[in-house]
Amino acid sequence: MLPFDIATPGTLAEALALLDQYDEEACVFAGGTALVIALRQRMIAPRVVVSIGQLPGLSEITYSEAEGLRIGALARHAQIAASDPVRRHYPVLAQLFGGLANPQVRNQGTVGGNLCYADPATDPPSCLLALGAEVIIAGRMGQRRLPMRAFLVDFFTTALEPGEILAGIHIPPPQPGEHALYRRHLRTPAEHRPLANVALRFVAGPDGHSWKDVRLAIGAAVPVALPMDEAGRALTGRPITLAVAGEAAALVAERLEPISDSRGDAAFRTAVVRAAVRRIVAEAAGLDWTETT
Amino acid sequence: MHREDFGLAGEGEGIPQVNAREKVLGCAVYAGDMRLPRMLHARILRSPHAHARITGVDLTAALALPGVRVAVSGRDVPARAWGLSHKQQHVLARDTVRFVGEEVAALAADTPEIADAALDLIQISYEPLPALLDPADALTTGAPLVHAGSNLADEINIQRGDIDAGFAQADLIHEETYRTHSQYPGYMEPMATVAATDANGRLTVWTSTQSVFLARQRLAEALDRPVSSIRVIQATVGGGFGGKIVEERSSVIAAFLATRTDRPVRLGLTRIEDMLSGCLSVPETIRLRLGMRRDGTITAKEVEILADCGAFAGLAPDILIVSAMRSDNMQRIANIRTRARLVYTNTLPRGAFRGFGGTQMLFALNSHLATMAEKLDLDVFDVHRRNAIGPGDTTVHGWKIGSCALEACLTHVRKAIDWDAKRARPKGTGVLRRGLGVAAAMHVSGNRTIGNWDGATILLKVNEDGRAVILTGESDMGQGAFTMLTQICAKELGIPPAHVTVQAPDTDISPFSIGTLASRVTINAGAAMVKAARQARSQILAAAAEKYSHPEDDLEIADGMVRARGTGNLTVPLPEICRYHIFRHGGEGIIVSASHDPETVRMDAEHRGNIAPGYSFAAQAVEVEVDTETGQVRLIESWLADDCGVAINPLAVHGQSNGAAVQSLGWALYEEPRFEGGQLSNGNLADYTMATADAVPRLHSAIVDSFEPNGPLGAKGASETAILPGAPAIANAVYEAIGLRITDLPITPEKILAGLARAKGARDAAL
Ligand SMILES: Cc1cc2nc3c(=O)[nH]c(=O)nc-3n(C[C@H](O)[C@H](O)[C@H](O)COP(=O)(O)OP(=O)(O)OC[C@H]3O[C@@H](n4cnc5c(N)ncnc54)[C@H](O)[C@@H]3O)c2cc1C
Repeated sequence: MLPFDIATPGTLAEALALLDQYDEEACVFAGGTALVIALRQRMIAPRVVVSIGQLPGLSEITYSEAEGLRIGALARHAQIAASDPVRRHYPVLAQLFGGLANPQVRNQGTVGGNLCYADPATDPPSCLLALGAEVIIAGRMGQRRLPMRAFLVDFFTTALEPGEILAGIHIPPPQPGEHALYRRHLRTPAEHRPLANVALRFVAGPDGHSWKDVRLAIGAAVPVALPMDEAGRALTGRPITLAVAGEAAALVAERLEPISDSRGDAAFRTAVVRAAVRRIVAEAAGLDWTETT
Repeated sequence: MHREDFGLAGEGEGIPQVNAREKVLGCAVYAGDMRLPRMLHARILRSPHAHARITGVDLTAALALPGVRVAVSGRDVPARAWGLSHKQQHVLARDTVRFVGEEVAALAADTPEIADAALDLIQISYEPLPALLDPADALTTGAPLVHAGSNLADEINIQRGDIDAGFAQADLIHEETYRTHSQYPGYMEPMATVAATDANGRLTVWTSTQSVFLARQRLAEALDRPVSSIRVIQATVGGGFGGKIVEERSSVIAAFLATRTDRPVRLGLTRIEDMLSGCLSVPETIRLRLGMRRDGTITAKEVEILADCGAFAGLAPDILIVSAMRSDNMQRIANIRTRARLVYTNTLPRGAFRGFGGTQMLFALNSHLATMAEKLDLDVFDVHRRNAIGPGDTTVHGWKIGSCALEACLTHVRKAIDWDAKRARPKGTGVLRRGLGVAAAMHVSGNRTIGNWDGATILLKVNEDGRAVILTGESDMGQGAFTMLTQICAKELGIPPAHVTVQAPDTDISPFSIGTLASRVTINAGAAMVKAARQARSQILAAAAEKYSHPEDDLEIADGMVRARGTGNLTVPLPEICRYHIFRHGGEGIIVSASHDPETVRMDAEHRGNIAPGYSFAAQAVEVEVDTETGQVRLIESWLADDCGVAINPLAVHGQSNGAAVQSLGWALYEEPRFEGGQLSNGNLADYTMATADAVPRLHSAIVDSFEPNGPLGAKGASETAILPGAPAIANAVYEAIGLRITDLPITPEKILAGLARAKGARDAAL
């Protein structure tokens, strides 16, 4: 780690001013779980580290029936997992944030840090995509909102402009009959980070057998989490059987352009994603995926 | 010795480790915890090249940084080389670097931060040389030479009986090539050392080691100074698994820096550095050809091994011997031809690891036996049993088997896992498939190598209050040596274990010893402990007999009292007799020294001879579940049975067996050091993933009924044997689950999926 100064602004405006002043030489520090590793490995060498951990108002989690859920960027993973409105209205998120990484990281890492770092091997992005989330970004000129899809740009790259701070995430209120599931695959039990994950969100049709407004998203196996619209359509308006689940899985596998690295090459990640899609669809429809089709 | 001689019927008492309290309370002092006045912090600069000539060294900028007290390179270190059978290493690389990560320069500064900053200022220039990265290329003509001469570090040829006649008698001959990979010992405590000189230049080194005397010997060579000018003290050791015997290199560097500054120097490694400067296990390619009669009898065994020791030989030649011939002794076989070769490559040095060469060969042999049993339509347990060595046998290499409960181990795991019922169930057709596998293993307890000696000495003091202090040179690296000595001492002296203290090894104070390796401490130091305690007891009883004019042979010590056995009218507290002894012997307390050297021999030039006082056996049966879509293998059940003789501390043995089961699972499924251009690319525990609690079901370990005639209280070694059967048991279970024989470890999801795809391709083509 190379030496740096640390600044602790008291307000969001002060923080933004500091980022403006030091520009390229500054970086934001939230929970530090990702940043400290990068500093120690000297992947980054900022002159000023702007600690935003103390900023008021950025870690709240609020819910209203009209507006839905708002999660402050500084909310920690464990805090989200334990939050009442999250558990009541978005149990899938409670499960996701309660199950990622390990207890130390969950108690220290923030959702904002997770999204801004944009490491592909993470959990939240695909699920937030499937839930139709937006991000709220603060800059010197005021706030702007972006759909998740536009926020995620590439490996370790988001749509944040220099000098901006992620303020929070907004998720629309669940519709009647909405269901959401999330599954992650680890290569080995000692790995904390997912090799691949899949999120599925749909509204159960009145007949109870078919779905509408289906959103399926893949994460971790790809540079940025991706909505799989075609597969979503294939799951819309028809009875879900194991064969249909297999069909959706095949569609995803065909379109996938996975990461290929030492944790898993493209073919392997594709196989895992294919299995994960088939299983999540089957589970959502109450089918037994352990049967072969 | 007979079983009745010892009060222990079957098992000793399962008490917690005597050093557990200090560890769980956080007060155990590891070398890295030590802080001495004026202590400096050391850092090491490593080679970025797999093979290069060092053409220039410039330390001036680093030395100019305020707070830097010393900076050295290979040009400053003694010319004398250190090593075991091959003396080829120096404190720092001198003219040539031979692997990525090799230590080229080192410095020490007032603070860790200054040391870090100074490291960036060292300038080394290199002229890269062609590097040899693949052991398969090592012996081809024109291959880059790692050391002058040849890349062949060692070769072993063994012939027994008539191999051709053996194969001629076989109804089935099966040949296969197996590949095993390196494993990182993965102990919790990365290497740490604090070294300091005194006003006379004498050097003291506190370090994490399995053997203080081997450490001292090596420091004497590497620093080119007399043995007695060095004192090595074992700090608390946070695990070793073979990696801290004598091959790690950082303690040598710390000691050298201390001698150059005459200030205390602390060198604590990060995890990546520890992976680079300890040693990974020896990877081997094993071609195995076995002949078998229809009834399962092995008629001939032909083995060819190519092992990779990396850049330096270290202990790898000794490991090669184990791979080459140890498994032969597990079975009654007569016709053998073995050729084992060890080659250098420009990669990390490989060496000692729990099991010491046994894991590699037993993976091959157990995989092979399962395959052949299936081909001959035989029960694999019957094949093991038909060939198993037994008590009283002398093996093909002249090993004299005292106790052997291999069959009992096999019978136990078969029943425990409900083998027969599970094998009879219908084969699944779903995505998840289950299978069973079993493997058997043998290991030594002791090994007569170094100096034609395998002895141990215990120095025992009984204080004036009747409590005991034990001085030993054998290291407790977490495996429980101190607890074992405490238990034997307490039992033999008739005092509670809480009244016994074991002092950590210190070369100035402890009796000379080999240290913790070859599963030798219980069987050898334990035997010395029995002798020492009995000697002390008879001194105490003689003093009591004198004081109370009572016949000595009617006296005993029990519950801290000296008592008359027959009449029962004499009961004297032990402290009274101990004080009396001191007063009546001109102040001499009860201090005894007892040595035990087992009646073994050193292997002869043909690799024959009974090298160990006892031999341990184990078997393991597992059930796995294979996910045919993701390729993942999950351990469902694991039953391990260990023949370690009488377990002096069954609790400790279960701990070792379960730990071994986890470590073998890690080797079989998860752990694989990966290299890119000779550089370790997953040198951290996030990318080099070990088996964790999430990876294992409830583990079962059993200690079968066994009594070793040459062992103290009937005991022999435990813990190393238990790591041997895991990987082949898992591979055999994977085969039973999905019909895929994995011959190259680890069993990764990719290999499972590729194998299933190949099988499907073949099926489709057949349609
Ligand atoms: C061992 C380990 C295991 C992990 N496993 C998982 C896992 O299984 N699943 C998973 O999803 N993640 C995992 N992670 C990642 C973890 O979730 C992130 O490290 C964490 O959420 C980052 O949050 P932080 O507050 O610590 O961010 P920091 O480390 O403080 O910051 C990370 C980056 O984001 C920037 N940043 C932070 N907050 C903001 C903001 N509000 N506005 C603008 N920029 C900002 C920082 O400048 C920095 O570049 C793991 C991490 C570790 C260390």
